[in-house]
Amino acid sequence: MNERALVKQVAMREIVTRSRTKAFRIITAVLLALAVVGPIAAALWPESDDEARDVTIGLVASVDSELEELIAAIGEDIVKIEFVDTSEFSLDEIDTGLTSGDLDVVIESADRLAWKRTVDDQLATVIGLALQQQAAFELAGSLGLSEAETADLLAPIDITQRRVDAGGVDDGIRQAVAWLGLMLAFMLPQFFGQLTMLSVIEEKGSRVIEVLLSHVRPQTLLLGKVAGLSVLALGQVVVLLGGLTAALLVTDRVTIPREVWQFVPILTVSLIGGLVFYNTLFALLGSLVSRQEDASQVALPVFFPMMAGLFIGQFAAVGDSDVFAAKVLTFFPLTTPMLLPVRVARGYAAAWEVAVALALLLLGTWLLVRLAARLYNFTLLQAGSRVSWKQAATYMRK
Amino acid sequence: MTGLEVSGLMKRFGDVQALDGLSLAAPVGQLVGFLGPNGAGKSTTMRSILGLLAVDGGSITWNGEPITAAARRNIGYMPQDRGLYQRMKVGEHIAYIGRLAGLSPSEATARAARWAARVGLEDRHDDLIQDLSTGNQQRVQLAVAMVHDPPLLILDEPFAGLDPVAVAMLSDVMTEQVEQGATVVFSSHQLDLVEDLAENLTIVANGATRATGSSAELRRRSPIRLLRVEWVGEPPAWEPPQSSRLDSRPDVSLFSVPAASDSSALMASAAAAGSFVSISYEPPPLEDVFLGIVAS
Repeated sequence: MNERALVKQVAMREIVTRSRTKAFRIITAVLLALAVVGPIAAALWPESDDEARDVTIGLVASVDSELEELIAAIGEDIVKIEFVDTSEFSLDEIDTGLTSGDLDVVIESADRLAWKRTVDDQLATVIGLALQQQAAFELAGSLGLSEAETADLLAPIDITQRRVDAGGVDDGIRQAVAWLGLMLAFMLPQFFGQLTMLSVIEEKGSRVIEVLLSHVRPQTLLLGKVAGLSVLALGQVVVLLGGLTAALLVTDRVTIPREVWQFVPILTVSLIGGLVFYNTLFALLGSLVSRQEDASQVALPVFFPMMAGLFIGQFAAVGDSDVFAAKVLTFFPLTTPMLLPVRVARGYAAAWEVAVALALLLLGTWLLVRLAARLYNFTLLQAGSRVSWKQAATYMRK
Repeated sequence: MTGLEVSGLMKRFGDVQALDGLSLAAPVGQLVGFLGPNGAGKSTTMRSILGLLAVDGGSITWNGEPITAAARRNIGYMPQDRGLYQRMKVGEHIAYIGRLAGLSPSEATARAARWAARVGLEDRHDDLIQDLSTGNQQRVQLAVAMVHDPPLLILDEPFAGLDPVAVAMLSDVMTEQVEQGATVVFSSHQLDLVEDLAENLTIVANGATRATGSSAELRRRSPIRLLRVEWVGEPPAWEPPQSSRLDSRPDVSLFSVPAASDSSALMASAAAAGSFVSISYEPPPLEDVFLGIVAS
């Protein structure tokens, strides 16, 4: 069996056994349920905001009754109007009607409206337009224009919109994609990286490592483990995003903009790069300890660049312009997986920047794999106390 | 086909000289017992054979050739610190190691089933390792070492912690493997078992080889002999020359005498001293020989 087949064999074992654990299944099931149930629940929720709401408008006698038709026509899609004749109401009765909520607004004259406390801007606009049109018709009539001529005069102009960046992507979509990329790049390598580290510690602690290394090289074991857990992470993402997409399509509640798909390649590449890099790094750290209790201590330094990437990535995801720190850290392999998709989604990263950042991430991963494999040779069989950084540095130089 | 030859191994861990010119030979088709007190260098030697440790000096060959990475995958290994994946199923685990050793998927699966049955775990084939008792986990460990039918088996303390039934099963398996042409090197502190099973022994102490040979040869090479006399009635006040009394019961006397003693003269002297039911003159048991070699 050649090295590639052995790596595949080790990777398959990681995928099969890790995906079988209760913790992994529960986490995946809960996340999938949230992804699917969210859009379905939203679809089942009544769309009250989008429906025309009921309003009651009081009209006094001095107001022309044709106004009713105009208001109804203008506010057709927004409000369902009930008109109440308040010509016989006293001022106190009108105020009581408004206070009790029986009346939403009273048109007291052609230029005066009465409200309870707050002016409903939407309704005020509808009534205002109607009053304005009515006044225009009356003025036009006094000037000798027919109703048809007046209607032509007031007819809206069909305005054509010209956009300079017609092919561009809406900034809201860009921000949403940037957030998605940032969160995936932050959370997945963290979760699966720690899973990789615990897997190494388990092999060291249980001493199964001796049997494994009598058959495969440390580097083969490392590559298989990193590959297996990276594939498992990607599989989980595919399942979750697949479930979310299917739920959105089935409920037809939110349309996925077509422009989103153009960002899928960079999100995928960044995510794979981040997973491989961080899984390797966590595997290296795992080889330094033999007990799970020591894991968090040895992994602590890794969380600093991850947190920095998340912090700066948040600014880059919502900011109005390219953030300098984000630009610089895009080329730092520890933060590239988080910042590259954000800057690409926001349209800040030039093609050369993408190429250089990915090349550096690839180079960094390659160096890390070599370093980890070298360290593996010395540390995997060491049981007991933690290997110090000084000792690890000595091993790496050997 | 010279089998396994380990010569002049040197290995230092910091201030500790773990191996100090240790040598070991295990011809093809032989079962070799590797004996020594704790810390003598047995596990370090075995790990070095497997390539798990890089030695500072010396050579390790299999049939005259240095053991390459590819050749190592054909070695069956049972480490002293038992290690299995707790969340794998019995059959799956055995087959996995078989795959790493180069077996095809179907062959690994078939052999895993066969070895699970051979070590008495046919009913536990689909159980998780973590659900097995310690003894049964050791049976799985044995199956893992055997699954690829290795020509060379390195077993570090294989009998430790096993019940008598499992000991008998393991002894049978080891004997079968040797009958089929395999070479087996195993370490153990259970000297009675080693004496029964091993054709040849290598005794090490402080990282160096102290003695090699069959159990009978090692016993014969001992500088002392045991003289046991069962008297008729009360033992007489008799002691052989240059002897030391080891045990005295109402009717039995046990002496340690120099190996160069004239056995006929001793018997004649005993007969002159009193009447005895039986008298025996033989090399000491392996345990005594071992203790003597290690102490020296």
